[in-house]
Amino acid sequence: MKELEEIAFLSHKILDLNKQLIESEKIKSQFLSLVASKLNNPMTALLGLIPHLDPQRSCSQEVFDLVHQEVLHLHFQIQNLVMAAEIEGGMLQIDYASVTIQSIIEDVLRDLQYLIDAQGITITLSNTLSSPFITDPKKLYLILKNIIANGCSYGTKGGVIDISITKSKYILTLEISNQGDGPRVEFKPQVFQRFAQTAEGDHGLGIGLSIAKELCGSLNGVLDYKVAKKTVTFVVSLDLLSKIPNSDAYGSDEFLFESFDSAIEL
Amino acid sequence: MIHGSSTFIHVGQVHVDSAPRAISTVLGSCVAVCLYDPYLGIGGMNHYLLPFWNGNGLQTPKYGNIAIPKLINLMTSQGSQPKHIEAKIFGGAMMNCNENEVMMIGRKNILVAHDILKEYSISVIAEDTGGRHGRKIQFDLAHGKVLLKYALQKNISN
Repeated sequence: MKELEEIAFLSHKILDLNKQLIESEKIKSQFLSLVASKLNNPMTALLGLIPHLDPQRSCSQEVFDLVHQEVLHLHFQIQNLVMAAEIEGGMLQIDYASVTIQSIIEDVLRDLQYLIDAQGITITLSNTLSSPFITDPKKLYLILKNIIANGCSYGTKGGVIDISITKSKYILTLEISNQGDGPRVEFKPQVFQRFAQTAEGDHGLGIGLSIAKELCGSLNGVLDYKVAKKTVTFVVSLDLLSKIPNSDAYGSDEFLFESFDSAIEL
Repeated sequence: MIHGSSTFIHVGQVHVDSAPRAISTVLGSCVAVCLYDPYLGIGGMNHYLLPFWNGNGLQTPKYGNIAIPKLINLMTSQGSQPKHIEAKIFGGAMMNCNENEVMMIGRKNILVAHDILKEYSISVIAEDTGGRHGRKIQFDLAHGKVLLKYALQKNISN
């Protein structure tokens, strides 16, 4: 009887592993299509537009703007691929600096203006944190860029994205809400899974949100989302640091700075 | 005594360097595998949190089954031959004796290190794993030696 139970248990395990293998093959092909569409399409558009920028010809502002949009779009995709490679390669370095959240959000909105305009989105900002705080600005920029881009792309066209920044004693909370159905909460694990598609169909879940989640973790923070009546809210919670950590020993405490005198040698 | 500067690595990082530099980290239930090639004088360290990647999120070196092959690949890409590489394993402490699951994570982290290193035929020449205390380690790449200090429980969280 016990042997039968063990056989059943092992069969289930093999089945699970087999499913994972099939899924992994699927992810590989999805990645190739993703590269083809996300990188090749803007590049094709650029190749078509660039001849119109010939200085001998009078180039319209419209063509120039289109080229600029495609470059920003391509740059965003490359930023994500480079960051994913850094994270997966174990090469992620955190560079802390004192910054204002206002300046990071302004950079994000400037670089996503093409998408915001294309989708007719209105951005509202409520910020109670005016003083600088310590974080890795490049990482936070990419976290916010991915969440806001996600809201623009998959939220309601012509809708509103609310950005709210609040601070408690130890936590900085950024809430980004967009209008739209959003992925259902039961698909939460898939939302942060790279190249995942839920049973609801393609929600465009590429690598952006999985990168944002990993980057939040690297800043000792958490990324989560909630869905309520036609509104999706992504919540970024970050620890507020009182000083810039020593680059050689983040998480500084006495133990980290103790010398290795009297240490065991192995 | 370390003569070169030391690079501190966090969870999910993998670092390979050469003498006289050193690599250091702090471990709780996490495990660090240190690899050293005495022929080339290069070595590397990883620092992982959990034994296996569960297929969710990015395939990061926060997981032993990703971090260890990644470290071996980095060593071999710098010219090391697996037969010359020596391994040392640290960490995997049971940080909270009331939490059975945590105890299992530390143990599983240690087991996965042994399993994968065996698969690559890399011998483990030293190990300080398990127990109830966190550890601070510094890997001296000039001599391939690891200096280790135990932490009080309150100092470490992972």
